[in-house]
Amino acid sequence: MALIDLIEESVVRAPLRAADKESAIRELVDTLAKAGKILDADTAYRAVLDREAKGSTGLEEGIAVPHGKTIAARELTIAIGVSPDGVEFGSMDGKPARLLFLILAPPDKAGPHIEALAEIARMSRSKAFCASLASCRTPLEVIRLFKDE
Amino acid sequence: MTRPIRKIMVYVDGSEQSITAAQYAIVLAKALGAELYALYVVDTRALAELVKSRIFLEAEQDEYRRDLDGDASRYLNHVKELARRKGVPVSTEKSSGAVNVEIKSKVSALGVDLLVLGEISQIRSRRDELYNETERAMRNAQCPVLIAKGEEKIWDLYEALE
Repeated sequence: MALIDLIEESVVRAPLRAADKESAIRELVDTLAKAGKILDADTAYRAVLDREAKGSTGLEEGIAVPHGKTIAARELTIAIGVSPDGVEFGSMDGKPARLLFLILAPPDKAGPHIEALAEIARMSRSKAFCASLASCRTPLEVIRLFKDE
Repeated sequence: MTRPIRKIMVYVDGSEQSITAAQYAIVLAKALGAELYALYVVDTRALAELVKSRIFLEAEQDEYRRDLDGDASRYLNHVKELARRKGVPVSTEKSSGAVNVEIKSKVSALGVDLLVLGEISQIRSRRDELYNETERAMRNAQCPVLIAKGEEKIWDLYEALE
């Protein structure tokens, strides 16, 4: 399944309000809960924090990919956050995360989960696309950017 | 004239589209009297890519590899059951590596006459075209390829099969 098939306005936070890592993850998890994509926000939040405890998913160039397997997700689901000021995420290059891709998948859907993460990994290598994405100020702008690419 | 389609292979990745493709492959195998193969590829290239990009930890890679092995068995068993219900023998194949490369390799090794794939996601960008594994398998396979579209019609055909 292509990433774009999972992205809709209701799962995009632009701008992301949170100023720290835990709050940013919580804001994105709550966005998914509000959009009806997950069954239980607390369970999903704990799954992501447990994964982060093993090592930060903050990559380089302001990108973070927090993710987790959880029974709170019925299907593979994604939330995107765009933080204009950036969030300290313990990233490899020390830069704050401005683009956050939160991915949740049920434990028995490893294939689509990996496919989605791999797609983000490839996308993160396009600095121009990521810069455009980080400059989006509304969910609609994010959606248009993905669809028009 | 020899039968043009004696061996059919369906690629199963666990998606609904691939299960629909499996149902259609079963219908075709029965109608044509063809041998049926079902293939699942554990995408180890994607796993390696995630470690390289540091999205995955090494330990996480091992964990997901086990998950994918479990998925492979589960989905291939599901196809076996779908085929058994209709009295169609099916040989299941599991391999690992880059999906489109493995599909091409199996087609060649087994002498497959027809590759059946699930419906391909709409290509919305050049990046999709470059990286969508089903798309690449369709382009690279050295045999005729059938894309199983029309879920409802295929379901009806499968259900009507005796």
